[in-house]
Amino acid sequence: MISSRKEAIQIFLSSTVSKLGIILLVVLLVFSIYALTAFPPDYGKLIWNNPKAWENYPKSAPPAWINMFAPFKHFEHKILTSSEPVVFKAPDGTTKMIYYFDLDYTADEFPTFLSMSVKGVKYWKSPPVIAVKLMQPNGKVIDIMSFAVSPPRSEEKPPYIRFSKEPLTLKIDSDTSVWRSISAFLKENYGLNLSPSKIGENPERFLFGSHEEGNFSTPMKGKYRFEVVATLYDDKDSIDKISLVLGGSVYGLLGTDVIGRDIAIGVLLGFPTSLFIGIVTSVIVTLIGGLLGIVGGYVGGKTDEVIQRISDVVYNLPLLPLTIFLIFLMGSSIWNIVLILIIFGWPGLTILTRSIALQLRESQFIEAAKAFGSSSRRIIFKHMLPQVTPFIVAQMIFYVPTFILLEAALSFLGLGDPSLPTWGQMLELGFRNGAIYMGLWWWIIPPGIMIVLTAFTFVLIALGMEPVVNPRLRRG
Amino acid sequence: MRLARALAVRAINLLLVLFLVLFLVVIIIGATGTSDKILMSMVREEVSTYRQVISRTITDPEALNKAVETYRQELIKAYGLDRPWYTRIGDMLMRIIVLDLGTSKSLQTFSGSNKVIDLIMERLPNTVLLVTTATVLTFLIGLFVGVKLATAIGSKLDRALTYFSAISYALPTWWTGIIFILVFYFYLRIFPPGGMYSVPPPEGEFARFLDLLWHATLPIIVLVLATVGSSIYVTRTVVINIAQEDFVTVARAKGLSERIVRWRYIARVAAPPILTQLILGLAGSIGGAILTETVFGWPGMGLLFYQAITSGDEALILGLVYVFTLVYVVARFILEVLYVILDPRVRI
Repeated sequence: MISSRKEAIQIFLSSTVSKLGIILLVVLLVFSIYALTAFPPDYGKLIWNNPKAWENYPKSAPPAWINMFAPFKHFEHKILTSSEPVVFKAPDGTTKMIYYFDLDYTADEFPTFLSMSVKGVKYWKSPPVIAVKLMQPNGKVIDIMSFAVSPPRSEEKPPYIRFSKEPLTLKIDSDTSVWRSISAFLKENYGLNLSPSKIGENPERFLFGSHEEGNFSTPMKGKYRFEVVATLYDDKDSIDKISLVLGGSVYGLLGTDVIGRDIAIGVLLGFPTSLFIGIVTSVIVTLIGGLLGIVGGYVGGKTDEVIQRISDVVYNLPLLPLTIFLIFLMGSSIWNIVLILIIFGWPGLTILTRSIALQLRESQFIEAAKAFGSSSRRIIFKHMLPQVTPFIVAQMIFYVPTFILLEAALSFLGLGDPSLPTWGQMLELGFRNGAIYMGLWWWIIPPGIMIVLTAFTFVLIALGMEPVVNPRLRRG
Repeated sequence: MRLARALAVRAINLLLVLFLVLFLVVIIIGATGTSDKILMSMVREEVSTYRQVISRTITDPEALNKAVETYRQELIKAYGLDRPWYTRIGDMLMRIIVLDLGTSKSLQTFSGSNKVIDLIMERLPNTVLLVTTATVLTFLIGLFVGVKLATAIGSKLDRALTYFSAISYALPTWWTGIIFILVFYFYLRIFPPGGMYSVPPPEGEFARFLDLLWHATLPIIVLVLATVGSSIYVTRTVVINIAQEDFVTVARAKGLSERIVRWRYIARVAAPPILTQLILGLAGSIGGAILTETVFGWPGMGLLFYQAITSGDEALILGLVYVFTLVYVVARFILEVLYVILDPRVRI
């Protein structure tokens, strides 16, 4: 037995295993707190599981850093947002707002698409006109397109508001007027006669291609600048946001899945859910199981018999089939999952605590306490609990990975809480969409590593606790 | 005599587990209205067969409909669908015990039967094959490595295996499986991505066996990896405790070789508690089988379970929960008998 709490902590911290465990735990907590503060609680429902929110993203794109290892540089998906527009008043009374978008082109391939989104336009008299220009690294300028916001409907009163909820997405590359502009540009600058429909087959080639070899088959690398000029006809007119999207074949830190979702965000959002289920379930299970064990072991008799019988039977149930069955019937909310894990989780601890409590009951200091006339309650809480605590705490930590893995397994079987992104669900979607057979490793490896890492952290801490509770293991 | 008594007590305990599960399941599906759904689909099934049969003798459509409707009402009464669910608990229990588990609404056996029990019986041997092989391997590896480690506490190997067992505990079986498929199928092309036999299966008994082995290798490795860590760790802990007992010191003092001390004195005493761990791990292995089979498309009960969940097949899920529990109870009993044989104290 341990003589003092201080000594126990010392023994615990003396091993590398525990130190590593504690460091990892801190890292997990930092990620969880960041995820909880950086994303709203309904992010999962509103954005993560809403395919529309990911329309502008490439599908099944590998992470951008694979470019560092490959001789061929993929075009990294870019969502360009402008800095504050430059505003000036023209002599004719209109206001011009100029947005600049800079692009440093280093890839060996062309973007897959080019689109612009415009959000929140408000005007009082005439609809604003938005024009897009592209300045190439060689100094040439292409007037890509120009369009006017839809005019007022009859009986509509100013201010006229457009695109306030859903932004307007203009697919620039499939617009025939754009093809015509490019055709005119090519004729003027290179004397080329290309029909607009020919350009429409791959407009990006002519926007970003190099003329040097004559056929625009390789990109012209260097610094590009998009200039978007919005002409407003009233001083009170305004535009909230304009952004440009260039479709790439690689994306971000961890790539995207089949819907286009940023896997890095999914992985980040998995931290709080996973830790929550693991820790909360484990703590409640420990409280219930530990208390029943002490009470049974100390009180004995009929109470003990009943507790022992029930815990024995529940402990011997095949956990996963029954859990699947119950969640299938009850619906897979996070609360149901926690509840069911608790229902099946407590008996192991009861059995362990009971056996320790039985030994303690016979010990001299408990007898002494009884002789002094202490109440049962006082003996249980004042004398037995402190002795049992290290065992219970060690077990509690050991249960955390069990529950984390169970939740992940349930999610993988399609029984995860659909309103929360979890690692298990990401893997389920990947598995069902054949990500392994297509080699989409960036979709399969990161969520799994996170599950392993989280579970591993608690296993390490539990291993570090072992010498504290079992002195025989202390020698090594 | 004591042997028989010990076994009888265990058998009764396990039967109790089985009945409790059964009872709980019946109450839950009754209270949630799931049993109504299952029974109604059974009624529909029988009514449609009946309609086909009598349509040969009754040609008048009105009379036919009337006869079918009467039959339907009879069936509803016979199944007790006109009464509240709790009055049917006894019937339902009986029906499940005799393995009358209803029909699946989405899946069929190779021979075309959609009876739940046929479906399960077709898949059961495949699961047993997978789990038994993996469990035996885990036990043997755990015992062998654990004993070796325990006599070399603090060595580099010992420390490395401590980390390994921690990682193995933290590895979700199914994810390991996915990674294995990615590496050994997608990149290296040395193992098949799943299934039990090639399509079409090779000719000849021996070639078929090799084909089975080839398909079973990855799932078995995955199942063993998931459990072998804790098996090694438990053996190590048990053995460390035993190695500090007086009789071991005496054996060493007598000048017996380390080999004999290790395997005759320590391992023999350590075997029963290690087996206990295996028994306790059995429920986990069954869970592991559900996930591993799903990942590898191994046509066992686990894959069936996954298919039942994804198609929302209540009758099949119910049947599987029961049969899983039944298999578990039987396997537990076999291990308990083994335990009694291994541990002399229970026998005397």
